[in-house]
Amino acid sequence: MGKRYQLSTLVMIIAGIVLLAVPYINDSRSFLILMTQIFIFAVFAMSYDILIGFTGIVSFGHAMFFGIGAYATGIILDRFEPTVPTLLISIAAGILLAAVVSFIVGLLTLRLKSHYYAMLTLAFSGLFLVAAEKWRTLTMGNDGFTFRVPDILKDRMDYYFICLVVMFIVYFLLKRITQSPFGKVMVAIRENEQRVESLGFQVLYYKIIASVIAGVIASISGSLYVLSLRFANTSVFSMDTTLDALLMTIIGGVGTLVGPMLGAGLIEFAHHWLTELAKEHPIFERWLIFFGILYILVVMFFPAGIIGTIHGWGRKRILQRKSVKEQKSPAG
Amino acid sequence: MELIMNLSINGLATGMLIFLLAAGLTLIFGLMDVLNFAHGGLFAWGAYSGVWVYSTTGSFVLAIGGAILTGLVLGFITEKLIIQPVYGNHIQQILITLGLMLVLSELLKVVWGPNQISAKTPSYLSGSWELGDVIIIKYRLFIIIMGLLVFGIVQFILKKTKIGLVVRAGVLNKEMVEALGINIKRVFLWVFMCGSAMAALGGVLLAPYSGVIHAEMGMEFAILAFVVVVIGGMGSFPGSLFAAMLVGLAGSFMAYYVPDLSLAVNMLLMAVVLIFKPKGLFAIKG
Repeated sequence: MGKRYQLSTLVMIIAGIVLLAVPYINDSRSFLILMTQIFIFAVFAMSYDILIGFTGIVSFGHAMFFGIGAYATGIILDRFEPTVPTLLISIAAGILLAAVVSFIVGLLTLRLKSHYYAMLTLAFSGLFLVAAEKWRTLTMGNDGFTFRVPDILKDRMDYYFICLVVMFIVYFLLKRITQSPFGKVMVAIRENEQRVESLGFQVLYYKIIASVIAGVIASISGSLYVLSLRFANTSVFSMDTTLDALLMTIIGGVGTLVGPMLGAGLIEFAHHWLTELAKEHPIFERWLIFFGILYILVVMFFPAGIIGTIHGWGRKRILQRKSVKEQKSPAG
Repeated sequence: MELIMNLSINGLATGMLIFLLAAGLTLIFGLMDVLNFAHGGLFAWGAYSGVWVYSTTGSFVLAIGGAILTGLVLGFITEKLIIQPVYGNHIQQILITLGLMLVLSELLKVVWGPNQISAKTPSYLSGSWELGDVIIIKYRLFIIIMGLLVFGIVQFILKKTKIGLVVRAGVLNKEMVEALGINIKRVFLWVFMCGSAMAALGGVLLAPYSGVIHAEMGMEFAILAFVVVVIGGMGSFPGSLFAAMLVGLAGSFMAYYVPDLSLAVNMLLMAVVLIFKPKGLFAIKG
């Protein structure tokens, strides 16, 4: 276990150096935007994985926290002078609101079984979508609104680095959390809730903290997202946003942090590429169908996703080697 | 008084539509213990195929038949391909049916295009009656009657016939029913197909009621149906009828008296129910 921890950290540091160098090799605008988008969604997908992959909670309302972050940042920057302090306050406001909402929703619904929770989070995030569309004085409804960002964020290349750094900070922070005793309890809840309860742990308490962590991180990714667009509209609250996180996490690999990042990269790249293909044949405009089918196949045949399946091979090999040794040792 | 009557009829009609959708969910969950997030997709497919049949043949009865057929066929395919491999695993059911929902609503756009489609009310169901100051829109009354009819038929089949007995027994003890020589897999396949057909029926009935249909309506109504199922108590058939009426009425009265709250009223109702009775108003044991 300890060895894998070091290996993955090493891989991450190498990947980080490569990604830091990328803008100096290819600085085309659309490529930088695509990469920035990937970093932002990687953060969002990692936050989702804290719920589904580590604690075993299926939420269909994760877009609600993404949207809270997005709107908090957008609205505050729109109303006040776009300076760095305002920016920080706007992100903090999103975080605080996301923490409160995830706490209340969690308190109300996490006692219930998995399917209730999934349905209720879907309903709650539907409520936020409706509110964003109807509360026009605050949100400008479906049209959305543009806003100015502090000068420091105006350069695409700088924003690339900011998002990259945030992604790595979130990665190492979440890694620390998932490997702490608290993280072990989360995984134990995923594996067998009744047993954790009977060991004397307050399962609800752990689940609520997991959902608050996931909500806060999702809010940060939402803030980064609107800052990259400099435009906020109701699509951040839509079911599609939750589906993005779900697809990225499941395809990349649940229960790992690298998986969602890889999934975010794959899906954003594929999305970009298929949209280009739409010029050739209109069927590619409906690219979600391909993802939908791929996703169903993954759930059915590779429930561990890409990274999980690779880990599975590695583990199997280690187990085989062990059993071979054990067979040899008594004889020899 | 007239106002209250009018609002009540509106609320009951909306409630019945939600009930048709929720009933299929309840049937599938209550009997087979399968949670189907693709239910809204089947609902939208019912609406689109029904409107298509109606605009090509001009017969609303055929449109209803077409929608039900679509529901049965899609239900058959879904159960065989998607549901059977994941029996007994709730999380996988949730994930996989959500994927199906995605595919269904995108396919809808491939077949009928991404724009919304308008739907007409047949001439013999349009218009209204006036009883004093009470205005009864014919189509709304028709929806209420259809909803009650479906409720009655399903209750009768489940409680009074041999098929219903087999289904209920199969829920309690699969192995025992199989040992008696009944193919429980096929029974469940039929239950799933009936649930899907009910969703499709709800879809085609909604189309003239709202005037336009679009691919996203599946998800919108599915959320309402989930709220109803939670309020009523999952798996309880009378519970979902009661809850659907409650949601419909609350929505229609709130829209008149406190319009600002009308969109949140369902969530508020649900939150209140969850705080006091986490398992719903008509929870069945287990």
